[in-house]
Amino acid sequence: MSPTPSERIRLTGTPIGRKVRVADFGSEIDPLQVEQLHAYGMSPPHLIRVTQQQPMTVVLCDHMELALEHEVARHVWVEEA
Amino acid sequence: MNQATLTEHTTLAAEGQTTTLALVGHPNVGKSVLFHRLTGTYVNVSNYPGTTVEVARAAARFNRGQSLLDTPGVLALPSRSDDERATVRALLHEDLRLIIQVGDAKNLRRTLNLTALLAELGVPMAMALNMTDEASARGVSVDAPALAEALGVPVIATVATGGEGIAPLTDALAHARLPAPLLRYDPEIESVIGRVSDIISTRAPHPRLAARGLAILLLGRDAEVEAWLAGHPEGSALLAEIASLAPAVGRDSLPARLARERGRAAEALARTVSQQAAGKDRTLSLLVGQLAVHRLWGWPMLLSVLYAVYLFVGVFGASTLVGLLEEDFFGGILNPAVSALVRSHVGIGWLADLLVGEYGLWTMGMTYALALILPIVTTFFIAFGLLEDSGYFTRLSVIANRMFAAIGLNGRAVLPMVLGLGCVTMATLTTRILHTPRERLITIFLMALAIPCSAQLGVVLGLLSGISFGATLIWAGAMVLVLLAAGWLAGRLVKGRRVPLVTELPPMRMPVLGNVLKKTGGRLKWYLIEVIPLFLLGTLIMFVLDRTGALPWIIEAGKPLVTGWLGLPPEASAAFVMGFLRRDFGATGLFALSHQLSMVQAVVGMVTITLFVPCIASVMMIVKEQGVRTTALMLALIMPTAFFVGGVLNHALRLFF
Repeated sequence: MSPTPSERIRLTGTPIGRKVRVADFGSEIDPLQVEQLHAYGMSPPHLIRVTQQQPMTVVLCDHMELALEHEVARHVWVEEA
Repeated sequence: MNQATLTEHTTLAAEGQTTTLALVGHPNVGKSVLFHRLTGTYVNVSNYPGTTVEVARAAARFNRGQSLLDTPGVLALPSRSDDERATVRALLHEDLRLIIQVGDAKNLRRTLNLTALLAELGVPMAMALNMTDEASARGVSVDAPALAEALGVPVIATVATGGEGIAPLTDALAHARLPAPLLRYDPEIESVIGRVSDIISTRAPHPRLAARGLAILLLGRDAEVEAWLAGHPEGSALLAEIASLAPAVGRDSLPARLARERGRAAEALARTVSQQAAGKDRTLSLLVGQLAVHRLWGWPMLLSVLYAVYLFVGVFGASTLVGLLEEDFFGGILNPAVSALVRSHVGIGWLADLLVGEYGLWTMGMTYALALILPIVTTFFIAFGLLEDSGYFTRLSVIANRMFAAIGLNGRAVLPMVLGLGCVTMATLTTRILHTPRERLITIFLMALAIPCSAQLGVVLGLLSGISFGATLIWAGAMVLVLLAAGWLAGRLVKGRRVPLVTELPPMRMPVLGNVLKKTGGRLKWYLIEVIPLFLLGTLIMFVLDRTGALPWIIEAGKPLVTGWLGLPPEASAAFVMGFLRRDFGATGLFALSHQLSMVQAVVGMVTITLFVPCIASVMMIVKEQGVRTTALMLALIMPTAFFVGGVLNHALRLFF
């Protein structure tokens, strides 16, 4: 099922400071990195807060800061919390 | 064994048999600090993931009959990186009687995610819920008794750095039990797990680990468990049979689906046993950490840090302290006294020269090691220890990621490279935290080529800061350029694709002076043990070359290259001969010639010697990690590159200076 832009947006398009819910991972992300994201606790439908978008996307997942390169972050789909 | 408790272990210990316990947990949750508390053995402790890449072992303080393992941090199981594999190897091959999971109290959900897998291994467990101080500061409270009830194992809140909770933890180990499973997977997956478990338990049973846990790891494609099974007489057939059972699970891979289901179970349990107070999730540590990776403020912060290091190491260490030690103490007092003593008591001329002559073991070897290098590396190790404990190094990976993308790597490679500034040999081992063989190969090559170790860096800073800040900048610029150019080429020549960066940023912390000093002491001890014999050996070689007339011949033979191409005084050839043993020994040789060198000569000499062959210890480590052929190829590339770059720089600089 492809994401509907009105419901879900890319993590890279999320304004800084916004709390969002992880919705899905695009198939473009390497399966090993999907596992890595799950291991960090960044699994759907968990809440994350975007703290930075440049030079990398940085999110706060619980109390852990995660930095994601845009090549990965643009394929992480999120929705309003 | 399934209902085993530590009572059994105590009995074994009483019978004189050593039982083994392992600390297992995520990276950077305090396993090594806890290991130190529980054994009294200090292993390197730092504020970044990947400090421990090999298993450490020591007798437990609370029971000398028990051996405790400190395992490398695992981001997740099944294992993917080399350091994670080292942990799985320990789980598979050690006679483990107890796992102490070290968890991060402020990230309970993530901790339980790992528990969900460890709990399936059939080994009694206890949990040290560490960093409860940081959790409280962030408004996180965990109901440890409720969590212990849910898991069926003791859960003890600890602050390992402050020694809190250590005694209750050691007491609780006697009550360790097999944990209750955290989840049942999807019925379709459960059925496959059951079938794989049956295959393992009937045809390749493990002496300690539960077949179900091994089945989950195998279905998750854990390379170490696959290797263990492959070593079984029927291994290949069993692996093929298991592979044929793996269900098609739709868009997600099976390992990712298993991980997701564990994540859900962990979330559900974490929600019931922990609470987050409102409005306490923004801390000063978080704000400073965000500033360090800010797209604008991150750069001035980086430059300020580098300048502070330059002032402390290059100016204070290499100029002030070296001036006091080398010129005033060794040059003015100690060496004249030692020389007079030796010459008055040693009648044989050559023997006296061997001890206190131009290439004397004392006047050159020991003076270089103690008067020139020691103050420099001491200041460097202090600065380095402060930075690594602050958590700043990992943040550099974010700042540098774009630059590293240009050379086919990602920002994660920054960490070994920065550690290489301390010691390239140890940093070569740290490349195990990188995820692909390609990343490891390129990073090791670049470190061998263009990353100066602390001693060499200190000598470079000492020599160039005495000339001008500009000279230091030209040297640094040249090194960065070589690093990028060589990396760019290597990125195109080495097969494989680049992996985008996803990394955890550990919290910024105020460094603990005691830990920094302890690490500095440990590193200095190691440095002196490694360096002094090599410096003495190098001096002996120089002495023999000088006495046999080979040194003047080498200097003469090296003239076209050293004097013509590099534009250095002929005596610099001797420094390059010394550089074969250790680059910093060679750099120190140039340092000793500094009064004869112009600014261009000093910069060219230091760039060339920085790029020169890595030290013997590094070469041995590269052989261990990459094999003899790859190492030989690297060395064949590195030496001509050093002289080529030095010569080009010499001719380029002479156009302007």
